[in-house]
Amino acid sequence: MENLGLGFLLMGVGMLTVFCILLIVIYGSRLMIGLINKIAPEAPAPAPRQAAFNAAPVLEAAVAQLTGGKGRIVKITEL
Amino acid sequence: MEGFNDILSRLYEMTAISTLADTPAFLLMYLIAFGLLYLGIVKKYEPLLLVPIAFGVLIANFPGGDMGVVQADSAGFVTLSDGSREVIWDMPLHKIAHELGIMNYLYYALIKTGLLPPIIFMGVGALTDFGPMLRNLKLAIFGAAAQFGIFAVLICSLLLGFTPQEAGSLGIIGGADGPTAIFTTIKLAPHLLGPIAIAAYSYMALVPVIIPLVVKLICSRKELMINMKEQDKLYPEKLEIKNMRAVKIIFPIAVTTIVAIFVPTAVPLIGMLMFGNLVKEIGADTHRLFEVASNGLMNAATIFLGLCVGATMTASAFLNLQTLGIVVGGFLAFALSIASGILMVKVWNLFARKKINPLVGATGLSAVPMASRVCNGISTKYDPKNHVLNYCMASNIAGVIGSAVAAGVLISFLG
Repeated sequence: MENLGLGFLLMGVGMLTVFCILLIVIYGSRLMIGLINKIAPEAPAPAPRQAAFNAAPVLEAAVAQLTGGKGRIVKITEL
Repeated sequence: MEGFNDILSRLYEMTAISTLADTPAFLLMYLIAFGLLYLGIVKKYEPLLLVPIAFGVLIANFPGGDMGVVQADSAGFVTLSDGSREVIWDMPLHKIAHELGIMNYLYYALIKTGLLPPIIFMGVGALTDFGPMLRNLKLAIFGAAAQFGIFAVLICSLLLGFTPQEAGSLGIIGGADGPTAIFTTIKLAPHLLGPIAIAAYSYMALVPVIIPLVVKLICSRKELMINMKEQDKLYPEKLEIKNMRAVKIIFPIAVTTIVAIFVPTAVPLIGMLMFGNLVKEIGADTHRLFEVASNGLMNAATIFLGLCVGATMTASAFLNLQTLGIVVGGFLAFALSIASGILMVKVWNLFARKKINPLVGATGLSAVPMASRVCNGISTKYDPKNHVLNYCMASNIAGVIGSAVAAGVLISFLG
């Protein structure tokens, strides 16, 4: 019976400790993320590289052929 | 003719056959070893660990082979081959090797000192990505709920007559973390190391069976169809991570510091886990350390750990009612851990606007990443577009931290 009391004590202390540690980890991490966002936001990503060749004339020719000269390209966006 | 008979008689005595005929319990141990080898090799249940453990069981149970681990009694005494008794801690390692065989040398140098589980944890850390947890921090709390099984089984074991130390070692199986279970058992009840390690790794291998079983029992179809991505769109996360690399580098340092302050006994596990992760996240500058931690060192540690754990399972140490209690209690610990994680999600969903798929709670026990993969499989079975893997990984990784902290508490109180 004495051991059973120890068991319930361990359950209480153990679950409370695990919850507290993970709560500290969660809110500590949120705080850390907030601080890092302010102090050291990541450097802007490098500009996309220039295409190796100019694709516009090829695309214009393809569109003109497919639409019988009626269609034209307004905008080309890199995905 | 008499001389020839004498030679034959000596040959018979030289082999293990004479002892095997007298002690059939060894044959049962061979069957267990073959069964575990079958599960590891053919069924591919955790082969990296089950194969060395099973082979350790096999070689430990050949009479005269001197490969079985001799457990010291509570006062630290072991019986040597000449019948004399000595305190194991007063024996130099070379004497242990000479008197008790090389497996005892490895066991007392590498396992009993508690060296190998933290080394394996370092490798686990080097292979773990905390990114999914950092992106879904709230879900990490379910890694705590799933530790309930550890303590529930501890109480059940006490009721069955186990000592508090044995009950703590048995309960930790519910943490679903092999190195943690072994580390705790070494500290609390080393004589139960073999069956507890076998139960822990066997049930981890059976995660694809146990989780669906528990989920089917306590989750409804409607709950399992909760789509986490849609919930994210409805209630988006306010905190955006702009510099993930910096966060990932600071995280292991911060967690180690927090745990070291509150639960110092968990530091051998958490500290090494986070060190392994740190050398991974730093990148090119520590790549060589990462390589060693995640490959060579971890693999070598796994070999010695597996063989030594297997070698603790000698016929006399393994074939008793306690082992049966450990097998049943281990399953209970596993199932209760899964169920308690799920139940916490259900309670959460009663009050929160943003609903959570209960599978996220089921992965609160460790067993990374298998538990998450299994849960993702369950969710996509109900809705092929509902992928919960990343969300499950958050609670799954938090479960590793949670079970190590629970182990630290048990060692502090019972060690």
